Amino acid sequence: MIDAISKTAQLPDLQMSPSTPVTAGKAATVGGFDSVMKSVAADTVNTLYKSEMTAVAGINGKASIQQVVDQVMAAERTLQTTIAVRDKVVAAYQEISRMAI
Amino acid sequence: MIDPLKAPGKIATAGMSAQSARLLVISENIANAQSVGATSGADPYSRKTISFKSEVDRLSGATMVKVAQYGIDRSPFRVEQDPGNPAADKDGNVKLPNVNLMVEMADMREANRVYQANLQVFRQTRELVSMTIDLMRT
Repeated sequence: MIDAISKTAQLPDLQMSPSTPVTAGKAATVGGFDSVMKSVAADTVNTLYKSEMTAVAGINGKASIQQVVDQVMAAERTLQTTIAVRDKVVAAYQEISRMAI
Repeated sequence: MIDPLKAPGKIATAGMSAQSARLLVISENIANAQSVGATSGADPYSRKTISFKSEVDRLSGATMVKVAQYGIDRSPFRVEQDPGNPAADKDGNVKLPNVNLMVEMADMREANRVYQANLQVFRQTRELVSMTIDLMRT
């Protein structure tokens, strides 16, 4: 009877962080959500970086207004997506923390 | 293949760039509508032209617009009798640029409209993307 509860102590480290999988071990080697999030984050950073570079080039007169606007809009879009996803993830954790025990 | 909602932005950007190149040529033509030659009997400013072509962008696979080439209008120059002009030949005739302001104005209006149309495409796709992302909020 008590065995089931005592086993929870042996569970691999549970961390409340979106980038680390809950079951550290087999799931991490497969990739899945973790790697997807990682690539999305890298993509976001790249887009923001590119947009900043284009904006600087625009100020220096090396890029056209259209290019600057296009890149800045792309960055805005990416940032919006990231924020929306983050809000969803945070909401999910809040939902878990509100779970009736 | 690029995201179908991202591609129109790129295509509209290319369209706007092309139309601004066209506006540049038009402004040159209008500004130089009275530019005569430097020496007596020399040729004045020749009207410049611009043409576009479609080009498939390798990165996105979308068909963009691109400036094909800048050309020079070879039509005959206007000739006016103006002996006092430094560019007048020995008969007192001055060759003036083959720029017709009416044509340039009409061209400019068209460039303006096409630019606005591209801008509208850009705005529309941006709005659609924003609305789609907003689904994740609420």
